[in-house]
Amino acid sequence: MTAAMTISLTVNGQTHALEIEPQETLLHVLRARLGLTGTKANCEEGECGACTVLLDGQPVNSCLLLAVRAEGSRIQTIEGVAEDGQLTPLQEAFAAEGAIQCGYCTPGFLLTTAALLSANPHPTDEEITHALSGNICRCTGYTKIVKAIRQAAAKGVRA
Amino acid sequence: MTQEKVIGQRKPRQDVLAKSTGAFVYGMDFQIPGQLYGAILRSPHPHALIRSVDASRAQALAGVEVVLTAKDLPAGLLMPGVVCDQPLLASDRARYHGEPIAAVAAQSADLAQQALGLIVVDYQPLPAIIDAETATADESLLVHEAWETYQAEEGLVRWRNVCCHAALNKGDVERGFASADEIIEGTYTTESVHQSHLEPRVATAVVLPGEVPTVYSNTQLLYWIRTNVAHVLGVPEEQVRIVPTGIGGAFGSKLYPQIEPLTALLSRVAGKAVRMVVPLSDELLAGVPRHPTKTRLKTAVMRDGTLVAQQATMYLDGGAYTGSTPEIASVAVLCLAGPYRTPNVHIDVYGVLTNKTNFGAYRGPGGPYSVFALETHLDEVAARIGMDPLDLRLKNILGEGDEAANGQILTSVGLRETVERATQAIGWREAAATNRGKGISLGWWTTTLQRSTSEALLDANGKVVIRVGTNEMGTGAIMGGVRQVAAETMGLDVDDVLIDVEDTLSGLWDWGSQGSRTLANVGRAAQFACQDLRLKILSLAEKLLETERERLDLAGGEVFSIDNPEEKITLKALAQLSPEGILRSRAESNAEPATYDKSRLTSCLYPAFHHPSYHCHVAEVEVDPGTGMTRVLRYVAAHDIGRAINPTLIEGQIEGGVVQGIGMALMEEVLYDKQGFRTNINWTDYKLPTLADMPEIESIIVEHPTNLGPYGSKGLGESPALHPPAAVANAIGAATGKRFRSLPITPEKIALA
Repeated sequence: MTAAMTISLTVNGQTHALEIEPQETLLHVLRARLGLTGTKANCEEGECGACTVLLDGQPVNSCLLLAVRAEGSRIQTIEGVAEDGQLTPLQEAFAAEGAIQCGYCTPGFLLTTAALLSANPHPTDEEITHALSGNICRCTGYTKIVKAIRQAAAKGVRA
Repeated sequence: MTQEKVIGQRKPRQDVLAKSTGAFVYGMDFQIPGQLYGAILRSPHPHALIRSVDASRAQALAGVEVVLTAKDLPAGLLMPGVVCDQPLLASDRARYHGEPIAAVAAQSADLAQQALGLIVVDYQPLPAIIDAETATADESLLVHEAWETYQAEEGLVRWRNVCCHAALNKGDVERGFASADEIIEGTYTTESVHQSHLEPRVATAVVLPGEVPTVYSNTQLLYWIRTNVAHVLGVPEEQVRIVPTGIGGAFGSKLYPQIEPLTALLSRVAGKAVRMVVPLSDELLAGVPRHPTKTRLKTAVMRDGTLVAQQATMYLDGGAYTGSTPEIASVAVLCLAGPYRTPNVHIDVYGVLTNKTNFGAYRGPGGPYSVFALETHLDEVAARIGMDPLDLRLKNILGEGDEAANGQILTSVGLRETVERATQAIGWREAAATNRGKGISLGWWTTTLQRSTSEALLDANGKVVIRVGTNEMGTGAIMGGVRQVAAETMGLDVDDVLIDVEDTLSGLWDWGSQGSRTLANVGRAAQFACQDLRLKILSLAEKLLETERERLDLAGGEVFSIDNPEEKITLKALAQLSPEGILRSRAESNAEPATYDKSRLTSCLYPAFHHPSYHCHVAEVEVDPGTGMTRVLRYVAAHDIGRAINPTLIEGQIEGGVVQGIGMALMEEVLYDKQGFRTNINWTDYKLPTLADMPEIESIIVEHPTNLGPYGSKGLGESPALHPPAAVANAIGAATGKRFRSLPITPEKIALA
């Protein structure tokens, strides 16, 4: 057992003072300490992308990042995407196009795509593929995810 | 048909909002305050005698509340099955790398892991039985020395390591071989592939004195989990509550009681809730992935392309325990026969026990390896007689009213239409560019039947609640398909229908979300319940509106007089006036199985394909002759699914199944070394397709309605995964001029060919 430490994390615009153990990953802190279970867990070694969150706007595998390293950064999880219960146009496109089946990969895909579209509002198919090749979906075959992203991009959605 | 308002529409599914905001609660998100954390100690050997298990140090560790080993279980406890050969924890012998030896429950996940490390097991390693074909020999070592003593289903042909010999015999193959112009032979092998659902397997058990034993599980098949939990707890099934939790993908894997019985026992001994998660490395080590196979095919053909005789012998590697191998063996028999008219057919499928994990149901069990063998073999047949592979198939495919190899008569056969539309879409007759080629695969598949039960009720707000006994696993069959069926039947929009998945105390018995059966059977039960509820509503309205029931209609949330639409009452008003309180109807679906010729089959536990679906896939690939890298450029999949309830969800099933199949074709492989040790137990070494590997998939929906599923629908979920290995292999064959008879077709195999 290692000594606990106190850190401060800013998640979805809210700052939390947390007592954690130094080896805890951001994924673990989000899910177990903050109850933000929208960030999904499986491989815990950066293979599946289900645990993707945005760190200062950039997608990261929260399973590979020690929580302490996220101090001072802006963290966004899937819970912080919809505003006042209103889905973003990107979320709406995923829902309408059938890009969501079991949905376990969905938070990761939505956040990775949000980061892509805010940096590059009209990505080519190649750029979409490049941005999303670290996220695994086992249900949809990706076709409808790409369609949803194209549709959102065509509408000029930034995130 | 034309009057339908909801059927055939791309309506949103009920769970999509929660799944896009992170609010959806999966099994992994479900916890109970004060729970303990379970973990399983697994055999590090593929085959070993267990001399002793010493758990005393683990038990002494502070924070460890329970350690279970085989000697803590009832003596001789074997789990239910077609052959009862599987212990819950290995006692005297470990039969595969990863077999459970002990289980612990501790106050934290870290402590549970630490406790596993303190359990001392004295193993005497034995040589492992690895190859299924050689394991059938009489001189082979036995996986189960006591195989003869096991209780087994009647009629199952089994001996020594062969847990099932399923066979089909039609006509006289020898005579066929003697009369044909050409005889073509080939051997085809496939490796195991893993379901790799994104959400882990997880269960939380609460088995406390005086309370109903309860297990929360992300299973596809609540009532089979109930059977197994009741079995180990020694209580009647009806007294066990299995509660569905959200499922993040399953694909067959979550049919199996891998953790629920052990977790229930841990909870009972601890007197506290216990939660068990299977980490990915354990899931890949010791899950229930697809069977590896080896198939020999021999085909007799006339020069005009008429198939005369076909003989097939498949070794279906079942792993260490029988599990569902016998059923899957008979499905393989029907897939090896294929949707063809061949007059003389002889098929033997041997389900064989080896020292590997228990292989089982992964999306289309029995299918993809059989289709790969048959459909790539048919391309070799076509090449031999100089015929286009498409023309060979068109000459021999089954049509309306034809008899399949098992003697069942086929109706609503959309096969030819799937072939024509898929090949037209890809431009089959157009010549391919250098290093490119096109490949085709055809098939048929079942709609599994068995019982589903559903309840429809009108709630106080005039909305309809549909209660079902099996969970949504991601396909949309329940939260999309069943909901649209109920809405259509009740004259409502989908927003006015709520699907609620019930635990097993509801008594809504269901054979589960599996076997391409969910929408057809659960939807049928829901439709029956809705039809009855509709009658109850009209009967009540008859009195209130003083109009005969026959002159009343229900639509748009209102009952109205057909003759005078001004005379009407809303469902909400009716619900509140209902003298008995809420109106409620319960119904079940238990459709008649297909009939077949019993004299042709032996030891086939799944002897016919009920209300079959038909499909044709075509792929175009480009192979880099230098690196051997294959890129799938285009992929077209046409499916006759009877009736499209929701095209978006159907396309989603097709696209997803195709990508899983392309994974099996090109990159996925559950690896064992020569001693039987599992080697690739993470998602870096076990390669899953990503967006970068995939083409955009074109789905074609063909509708030849059947009289099973609501509004004519047939099963869909599994069939898209059947064809990609064959279609892609045939396309690679066309691109390279070389045949590839073993999966996966890696760049290495191509470069070395």
